[in-house]
Amino acid sequence: MSNITELYDAILTGNHKKAVEITDTALKGGQDPKELVDKYMIPAMDEVGRRFEANEYFVPELLIAARAMKGALNLVRPLLLAQKVAPAGRVVIGTVKGDLHDIGKNLVAAMLEGGGFEIIDLGVDVSAEKFVAAIKEKGANVVCLSALLTTTMPGMKDIIKAIETAGARKQVKVMVGGAPVTKQYADQIGADGFSDNASGAVTEARRLLGVG
Amino acid sequence: MSTESNERPITIRLDPLDKVVHVRAGAPLQDALFALGVEFPCGGRGTCKGCRIKVLKGDLPPTDHDVQKFTEADIAAGWRLACQAHVKEDLVLHVSQWDSPILSDNTAFAFDPQDGLGVAVDLGTTTLVAQLLDLTTGQVLAVRTALNPQARHGGDIMSRVEFGVSAEGQAKLKDLIRREIGRMIRELVTASHVAPAALHRCVIVGNTVMHHLFCGHSVEPLSHYPFETNHLGLQVLTAKDVGWDEFTLRIEFLPCFGGFVGSDIVAGVLATRIHESEQIEVLVDLGTNGEMIMGNRHGLFCAATAAGPAFEGARIYMGMRAATGAISRVHVRDGRLVCDVIGEGTPRGICGSGLVDAVAGALDLGLVLPNGRLLDGAKKMHLLDPVVLSQTDIRQLQLAKGAISAGVQLLAQRCGTTTDGVARLHLAGAFGNYINVSSARRIGLLPMAEEKIVASGNAALHGAKLALFSRDTERLCAPILKLTEHMTLSSDPKFQDVYVDEMSFPASGV
Repeated sequence: MSNITELYDAILTGNHKKAVEITDTALKGGQDPKELVDKYMIPAMDEVGRRFEANEYFVPELLIAARAMKGALNLVRPLLLAQKVAPAGRVVIGTVKGDLHDIGKNLVAAMLEGGGFEIIDLGVDVSAEKFVAAIKEKGANVVCLSALLTTTMPGMKDIIKAIETAGARKQVKVMVGGAPVTKQYADQIGADGFSDNASGAVTEARRLLGVG
Repeated sequence: MSTESNERPITIRLDPLDKVVHVRAGAPLQDALFALGVEFPCGGRGTCKGCRIKVLKGDLPPTDHDVQKFTEADIAAGWRLACQAHVKEDLVLHVSQWDSPILSDNTAFAFDPQDGLGVAVDLGTTTLVAQLLDLTTGQVLAVRTALNPQARHGGDIMSRVEFGVSAEGQAKLKDLIRREIGRMIRELVTASHVAPAALHRCVIVGNTVMHHLFCGHSVEPLSHYPFETNHLGLQVLTAKDVGWDEFTLRIEFLPCFGGFVGSDIVAGVLATRIHESEQIEVLVDLGTNGEMIMGNRHGLFCAATAAGPAFEGARIYMGMRAATGAISRVHVRDGRLVCDVIGEGTPRGICGSGLVDAVAGALDLGLVLPNGRLLDGAKKMHLLDPVVLSQTDIRQLQLAKGAISAGVQLLAQRCGTTTDGVARLHLAGAFGNYINVSSARRIGLLPMAEEKIVASGNAALHGAKLALFSRDTERLCAPILKLTEHMTLSSDPKFQDVYVDEMSFPASGV
């Protein structure tokens, strides 16, 4: 019988099996799902993010932790929905048209999910129209654009324009990232937020939405 | 390591090519000769005699390897292994393999004597190598190297593409490279005192971006997914087309496989002949694009793995190219890391081969953990003052080696086998020639038994030379293109899992 406080360590060390076990036992024992998320799971992923930024954790550790988090979250999510607990934010994320790079985008998605956000992942090579449609359909309040090539990065500007044209610009905060993207470039194309790493993206999304 | 290095540059003249190179005292001869397209069939381990040279003037004391490999009479006549030699004084040398384009590692390529002279060019993103050959005898008459003048408009391939997307940018890059290669060919002709009209053919190989820029095709399609272009095929141009007015030669740029796998890899297949092999073999270029091709005579798969520039020393805190002052080798001795510096002076940085060695040694000593962390959360590791290796450098290496290793594994799966089922791994490119194979295996870069790994030297240039002796280049390359399927690894759903797994280092030496 595991102690509920061990959930934090299970996620931090990426122990998927244990994270799911503890969560399952706790929920069956009547533990409040929201408290489980807020007190143990999100803090664990925040610590993962801190270690990643400090270069203590690398991509593999981050992804393993995110997988453990996801396993636990899958058990909690239906209960949160039933209780009508709103997510920290609803995020549409994708790699821009012409670009196939997946991993950086996946890391950001995993960290945001771990940070309590709902994620709608559109994948790679995503057109402006697809971004706009998803933002409207899902009622997203954050959109994350990723590009890893200097040649595809200008596509971010076109997507922001398309969101404006579609009348959805006020609805969403636009965040951009990827190897060639800089804070300066983000400002220049009129994005709201920028991060050069997956963990920073969570902090930035929280700042933009005024949560956490 | 000696610190009292003589700063006076040493002059090496290659006869009868009228080519002079300058190196620092104590520098390995291999470094100077590799840049000129000399090949080291065994990877510079002193086990074959493919790189043998004859000392015509000057003193080059025989090494232990020389004593083993040559008879007393040969040694007295001046024969040495270039890969083992360190130069101490001015020399005049004769490079044996340039007597014929067929390497003396017993590859039985029956070359077909042709009329006149030909030029083989390896058009790299960074460096250019051109060799003038007598197509009747197969002899290399002269050799020239240069830096790619396009580099001032972007060092790496994507920034070059970005510059070349605009019409003016493309015209500028095209003119720069055509003019530079034309200049090199003029020098080759002058140096070997032949008539320009004797030059019949020029075969050029390079990656797809270089291919498009030289031939005058738009690189815009290469700037974004799906990276598809309509001009992958063999390109034939006349000297007039490219503005080399005093020549009448036919210029052939060999065909490419796809957006990121170019004719340098096609030439690499020609050189290694994996398309004729019964067993499964793989050719890997350890560069920024990490191109690889695997298979046998029944079918081949090629891919680019976007390894990034870590192997070239870029994006490494104190990284540099393999030049004077670079830590190029690191050994473990008495529980400590011991560094070799090119030129034996004060170290200025570390190059790709040193990086791989250093991390391999640090793993053995427990200074770097299998997950890539430095011991006790250190931020950096001292190598040889003032050169350090940072935690971020190790992360960069993990990304690069993970991409290559994952690529090899996924190609093996496509070939219906595992890495154990691959009979031979050919390392192409300059870095492949320098890297210590056991270190590469220690960090999990090359998931293959050591005896299966062979350095194939400048396979691209070798392939270009073979094409010079073919009456029909189109027909020479057609079977390779027909056999090969170009894969986009990142769209393989398994790629991320394998890539992430391969970012870690093996727990212990294998």
